[in-house]
Amino acid sequence: MFRNILNKGRRLAGLGSLVAALTVATPAMAQDKEPIVFGGSIPLSGVFAFAGIHIHAGLTDYTDWINSEGGINGHPVKYVMEDTAYEVDRSVAAFKKISGSESPATYYGDSTGFMKAIASELNSQGDTLMSGASFATALTDNEQYPYQFIPGPNYSQMFGIILEYIADQGKDGDMPTVAFVYSDTEFGKDPIENGKARAAELGIEVVEDIVTKPGSVDVSAEVLKLRRVRPDFVVFHGYVLSPINEFMVQMRQMGLDTQFMGTFWSSDKLIIDKMGADADGYMGVMPYNYYDSEESGPMLDALRAQAEKSDPEADYRPTGYMQAWFNAMVWTEVIKRTLDADKELTGDNMAEALASIKDWDTGGIIGIPVTVRDMSFPVGRIWRVNAEKGRYEPVSDWIHLD
Amino acid sequence: MRIGDAKQSYEADEAIWTTSTQKLWFGFFLLVLLVFPFMADSYLLYLGCLVGIAVISTTGLNILTGFTGLISLGQAGFMGVGAYTVAWLSVNTGLPFPVTLVLAGLMAAAVGILVGLPSLRVKGLYLAIATLAASVFLHFIFAEWESVTGGMGGLSLEPAHLFGWSFQSDFMMYFIIVPLAVLMVLAAANVFRTRIGRAFIAIRDRDISAEILGIDLLRYKLMSFALSSFYAGVAGGLFAYFYRVVTPESFPLSMSIFYLAAVIVGGMGNLLGGILGAAFMTLVPEALKLLTAALTPFYPNAPVFMSPMLEIIFGALIVGFLIFEPHGLAEMWHRIRRFFRLWPFKN
Repeated sequence: MFRNILNKGRRLAGLGSLVAALTVATPAMAQDKEPIVFGGSIPLSGVFAFAGIHIHAGLTDYTDWINSEGGINGHPVKYVMEDTAYEVDRSVAAFKKISGSESPATYYGDSTGFMKAIASELNSQGDTLMSGASFATALTDNEQYPYQFIPGPNYSQMFGIILEYIADQGKDGDMPTVAFVYSDTEFGKDPIENGKARAAELGIEVVEDIVTKPGSVDVSAEVLKLRRVRPDFVVFHGYVLSPINEFMVQMRQMGLDTQFMGTFWSSDKLIIDKMGADADGYMGVMPYNYYDSEESGPMLDALRAQAEKSDPEADYRPTGYMQAWFNAMVWTEVIKRTLDADKELTGDNMAEALASIKDWDTGGIIGIPVTVRDMSFPVGRIWRVNAEKGRYEPVSDWIHLD
Repeated sequence: MRIGDAKQSYEADEAIWTTSTQKLWFGFFLLVLLVFPFMADSYLLYLGCLVGIAVISTTGLNILTGFTGLISLGQAGFMGVGAYTVAWLSVNTGLPFPVTLVLAGLMAAAVGILVGLPSLRVKGLYLAIATLAASVFLHFIFAEWESVTGGMGGLSLEPAHLFGWSFQSDFMMYFIIVPLAVLMVLAAANVFRTRIGRAFIAIRDRDISAEILGIDLLRYKLMSFALSSFYAGVAGGLFAYFYRVVTPESFPLSMSIFYLAAVIVGGMGNLLGGILGAAFMTLVPEALKLLTAALTPFYPNAPVFMSPMLEIIFGALIVGFLIFEPHGLAEMWHRIRRFFRLWPFKN
């Protein structure tokens, strides 16, 4: 009996050794090549933390997924981040620290302020490509920001997509009217001038534009202004939730049949979660498919599988997660193209690789093949809240701006 | 061993350095500041420059709040005036940085005098609200005077330059910021050896008594505002050259609170306090991140849980100082010095 146990033990030990050897050897094989570093200034605390934790989750999950797929051309990927509390000086400090110790090929910036402040450093270093939470129009100026890109349409392009949708709703030459409501911030004011110009081109009258503090709650005076002009559409920009909810509830109480729309950061599921039935009919422009949409594709399925694996209890992933994943996808594609061309991972080479992206299939993250224009992906779709189902549903085709 | 100081003249009483040991330590400190940029990596250099800018602005606010007793929530606004002045001059005139920095200080001082006008009538919380209003007003100008300030998009500027040298890197900027910080702190220390500085202190201690003694309150209060804003303007100008982009959102109200907190944490009415407070407020959040870094190998998700905790720890540290050491870090430093000075007789 003892001999039997001993033999079984030997066999188990042999098998265990083999498994252990393979476990040790596999990562060693994967680490034959230098790791490629994704850096990030991530707002895990502060006013943008609600998105920051999902951005972090998106980047972490993508890194795990790409490594499970063998990395990028055999190079393992390492994600290195620091919390910034959404403060520019701490974000710059994080960049200096990470770029000093890890030489990141690509970097996630948490705000327009940071991305502008770091531009001169980034340009002089010339070895990192950056994108992040900002969709600022200014960052698509290739002269000033040659190593920064927008992981979707910039805010002006988002307004362009929204206005094209609104123009399509015009019947018998009767074009709808629109009002812009935006926050008194750089973020809020970003697309307004371009938006007005585009509206004029499309023959849409901008009947009112209202500036408020972000997060303000008492908007009765502004609502009265809108009541006077009775716009067919109100486009919000530069908010996360308030005062969108206040405007919608008060205007509906007044019996107005205005339709409400918002840009990327104003089109999260948070609006449905906080407003409940009142959110019904709210529309947002979104360059990516929502996590809980009926769309599918190999990359979207991989994203869902990885999200399920990393946190089985979370049944939804917000837009910040999708945005972070897409950022990392673009970085991967750019690095891959640069390495395939047998070039070094410099800012110039990666920017060139980015600019070469044409009719790129994102595997379902974006519903149509996308092309880079002026360091951005000018594509999006209008989604509408179905409060009963608690999700956004598409109401337009994918709109790619030329 | 040296026990106590016996000062036998007014000059000795007012001397910045009372002992040769102090001079020796100050010399050593300057040497460390000189060697630091050659030893530090870009991250530490960046933090060094940030502390330098914060020291200048905190020293300015300390002159106003700590030494003259006039509270201000407008420091960020004055820094903004300095930054925009530098940015506008740099973009439109191409003047070298010493000129633009001085003009930034003067412009901020002029605005400071205007903001300080109500200080004769109001003080305490009322003055805080008046300066807060000025800060909001300045922010409005930064955002709306588009032809000068570039509106919400702000202004981008070229690196500071002088005699063909371009101060583009943090390494080069360090040699502008830190020497200026040292000079401006020494200048402030000298102000308090003059009748102007003594008038500030008299106003702080009891303004009515000061007036009875013949001190012209409005003149000296405005002088204090001007001096404080000059410091803020220079700090703002350095901020502009350091980041090379200035937007209205670069100078939020929270920045004014940051500097006020630095003065309180460091020790009001104490120049060393301003330095220690500025360093504490700038460096502690960064130092706390080391906690997260230490935990991450054992607990990969540590950043998500620790980051909000660090904010709480930072806040608790400030509250702790206010409760247990209301005289700030400077008092702790003095206590340590006293301990060594009096040891072994008393400890």
